[in-house]
Amino acid sequence: MILRRVLIANRGEIAVRVMRTCRRLGIETVLAVSAADADSVPARLADKTIEITSYLDVDAVMEAATAAGADAVHPGYGFLSENPRLARACEAAGVVFIGPSADVLEAAGDKLAARAHAVAAGLPVLPGGLVRIGATGADGAPGAADAAGLAERIGYPVLVKAAGGGGGRGLRVVRDPAELAGAVAVGSAEAEAAFGDARVYLERYVFPARHVEVQVLGDGENVIHLGDRDCSVQRRYQKLIEEAPAPRLGETLRVGMRTAAVALGLHLKYQGLGTVEFLADAGRSEFWFLEVNARIQVEHPVTEAVTGLDLVAEQIAVAEGRRLWLSQASVRLDGHAIECRINAEDPAAGFRPCPGTVTSAVFPAGPGIRVDTHIQAGSAVPPQYDSLLAKLIVSGASRAEALGRMRGALARCEIGGVATTLPALTALAADGEFAAGGVGTEYLARWLGRETQLVRDKSG
Amino acid sequence: MAEVQLVDVSLRDGNQSLWGATGLRTDHILQIAPVLNRVGFRALDFMSSTAMGVAVRTHREDPWERIRLTRAAMPDTPLQLIGTGFRFISWERAHPEVMQLVYERLVAAGISRFVLLDPMHDMDAVRRSARMVKRAGGTETILALTYTISAVHDDDFYAGIAAAAATSPYIDRAYIKDPAGLLTPERARTLIPAVRARLGGKPLELHAHCTIGLSPLVYLAAPDLGVSVLQTGCGALADGSSLPDAERVVANLRALGHTVDVDDRLLALAARYFSRLAAAEGLPSGRPQPYDEAFTRHQLAGGVLTTLRRQLSELGLEAKFGAVIEEVSRVRAELGYPIMVTPFPQMVMGQALSNVLSGGRYEVVPDQVIRYVLGSFGKPTAPVEPWVLDRILDRPRARELAGEPPPLSVAELRQRLPRGISDEELLLRFGMPAEEVDAMLAAAPAARHYTPEVQPVLRLLRELGSRPPVSRLVVDKPGFRLSLTRDRADA
Repeated sequence: MILRRVLIANRGEIAVRVMRTCRRLGIETVLAVSAADADSVPARLADKTIEITSYLDVDAVMEAATAAGADAVHPGYGFLSENPRLARACEAAGVVFIGPSADVLEAAGDKLAARAHAVAAGLPVLPGGLVRIGATGADGAPGAADAAGLAERIGYPVLVKAAGGGGGRGLRVVRDPAELAGAVAVGSAEAEAAFGDARVYLERYVFPARHVEVQVLGDGENVIHLGDRDCSVQRRYQKLIEEAPAPRLGETLRVGMRTAAVALGLHLKYQGLGTVEFLADAGRSEFWFLEVNARIQVEHPVTEAVTGLDLVAEQIAVAEGRRLWLSQASVRLDGHAIECRINAEDPAAGFRPCPGTVTSAVFPAGPGIRVDTHIQAGSAVPPQYDSLLAKLIVSGASRAEALGRMRGALARCEIGGVATTLPALTALAADGEFAAGGVGTEYLARWLGRETQLVRDKSG
Repeated sequence: MAEVQLVDVSLRDGNQSLWGATGLRTDHILQIAPVLNRVGFRALDFMSSTAMGVAVRTHREDPWERIRLTRAAMPDTPLQLIGTGFRFISWERAHPEVMQLVYERLVAAGISRFVLLDPMHDMDAVRRSARMVKRAGGTETILALTYTISAVHDDDFYAGIAAAAATSPYIDRAYIKDPAGLLTPERARTLIPAVRARLGGKPLELHAHCTIGLSPLVYLAAPDLGVSVLQTGCGALADGSSLPDAERVVANLRALGHTVDVDDRLLALAARYFSRLAAAEGLPSGRPQPYDEAFTRHQLAGGVLTTLRRQLSELGLEAKFGAVIEEVSRVRAELGYPIMVTPFPQMVMGQALSNVLSGGRYEVVPDQVIRYVLGSFGKPTAPVEPWVLDRILDRPRARELAGEPPPLSVAELRQRLPRGISDEELLLRFGMPAEEVDAMLAAAPAARHYTPEVQPVLRLLRELGSRPPVSRLVVDKPGFRLSLTRDRADA
């Protein structure tokens, strides 16, 4: 079928991004907007808007889709993007959900189920398992084990993770067996509050490691990969800088991860765009499955830069029921791309979110520079939403060229009215360790500590 | 009331009729391809071997890549190629093996519908070509019944061709192709039923240029006469010497009670895109044409007339314009009424020009005319005037050309061309001078995105970048002042 009108159930830069592709394809866009976003740039760019109470309300989104006469819903990332209930509601209403099937969303959303699928598909996973909690509730889950015994078998340090979670919430590192019970209790309570699912599981904590992910695209039958990305520059599991391809990985590891991601995609009969996340130990050439993100990612533009593809268009093509037009052999990966997340957060104050009003916004343009944003002078940054203001994506024939462009482009970004991560990004771009490439997930915290110390030394 | 489908010709015939075949580049096409894909056209007139040559020569773009990328961007609408079946890019006759390879590569790249246009209506040749297309995997073949006014091209003539097509399992449908826009509604009322009656139930399409403003009216009569598909243009690439404007045709057909299942919003989007592109690139927009009785005699398309006028004025011979036009009608009759479609307008015009400008008639005869008389393009529809035939063949050059070696087979081509090249490159090198193919291969890949409104700014930036650095740049107009000063640190 050919999609003619799409409801975009999201906000911010991803709403603008989806609209841009829809416009190119000749698809009408109807944007679901909250009252706080009624005057936003995306609201003005959409062909039509329809107000909803919350981006997290499945029924509100479905009502909007029906009222708008939309033949599909694009959920973007975050919010309801991986919510199987929305996918099922769409199916029941005869509306196309632009994303994987509800079954796949369920499998990917439940971290333990995803882990089981990964094992079935032959992917390496970290030693771990489900924790038995108390005498009621989640303990009924099959295979649940006593936390202390499980942790002993895994070996310390261990990571406590929420089975129904994501985005870093409910995660806890435990190095001392004495802290395990407390960490499990707090993690479980946090998971219950955030995801309505108290189940937690333990996994070996690998440190230092790199966060490398593989972009996959499937039509339900054929699955291909579109290369890898490195997202190791993160703080409390929030990514700040991503790049493609992952630098200094080694061919064995790279090929291994890409092959594993495709194997999992095939196992899941994956339909649409997805990301398979891995932890990698580049030194020992080992990697382990982390999770599947069954949606478009914030960092998808770095993959677009090195493949020359429009990933939103590929999502839509699959949603229209088409077979993949690309074969693995026809995917060409050229050059290097880096994405910087410019957030309304104050790096000098522990990355505290800084909502407010943007008074000026100037972005660079030029060869190898792309900016995905929804803000301009006068834009509101509401406190209730994610603080992402813009993504600066630079690309070049080599990582060195991309890095050079990143430094020049960051210097030309000017955002006034709210504190942003720009100073941190600029300093990171000048850091020798980052420039060398291949840093681990511990890097940013270490770098921040060093920077803070430096500031203290100077002011002292 | 009938259900009518549309075939859009903007990208091929529109571009050829109004923009000299050179207006559209790959990025222009790819930008609008996804929209065209969703309009609901039955097919798109997309390519010809001539257009493939122009892509290489004028734009240094790989035409095979253009087909592949467009196919990927518009998977639902079949892409059509129009060809004579005996040549590829160059005017020389190609070996049947070469033509078979051409069809195979075209199908592999994404062409599925093939128009078979034999300018002589040589049905044996058309059947052979149709078979080759099917063997190559082409899904639809469509025979061109090229309309013209002459002593021999009456309704019975076209009905006879239709009958020949009816019995061929390799020909799927036919269309009446009126390249000069000569068909009137009156003639359509006898011609279309005559053709339909003998076509054996195969669908009939209509393709009539707007040259003298007749075709939009013919299109309104056609559905009731049994035409199921009308070929139209979009926005700036409709009207003029192109085909009727799709938006107007749709509105008129619906007003008459017919059904046309296209997405009006997307059709308007496509039309506006071509108009925006025309404005950004300084290309002319097609406009509705006034009726011109004289045209029905010389039948020369606008482009040919413009070229003639320019050539004559360069020679200081503008006064001869009327005489040359008169001579065109005479030469055409003497040569057996070749239909005025490529390459014949150029050929007839060339002969008429030399007849008027040199010492006497047929004193000087271009090679194309000799080849035509020798039958290189097939058998002329009516016999060539005997005295003209003698005069043309009784010259050394005619004997030379008659003794030309037969066209090279694929194996012979492979021996002569660089080793290890792809079939696509082989075919380009067969049809074009090596240096043009080399230059295309050396060029950067074609751009894939195009925004008309940004072009003036990009041109300005390119110009500024290509000049010696200026220290200050000021744009000053009421209510606006932009002043750029060169930064010493960056200098």
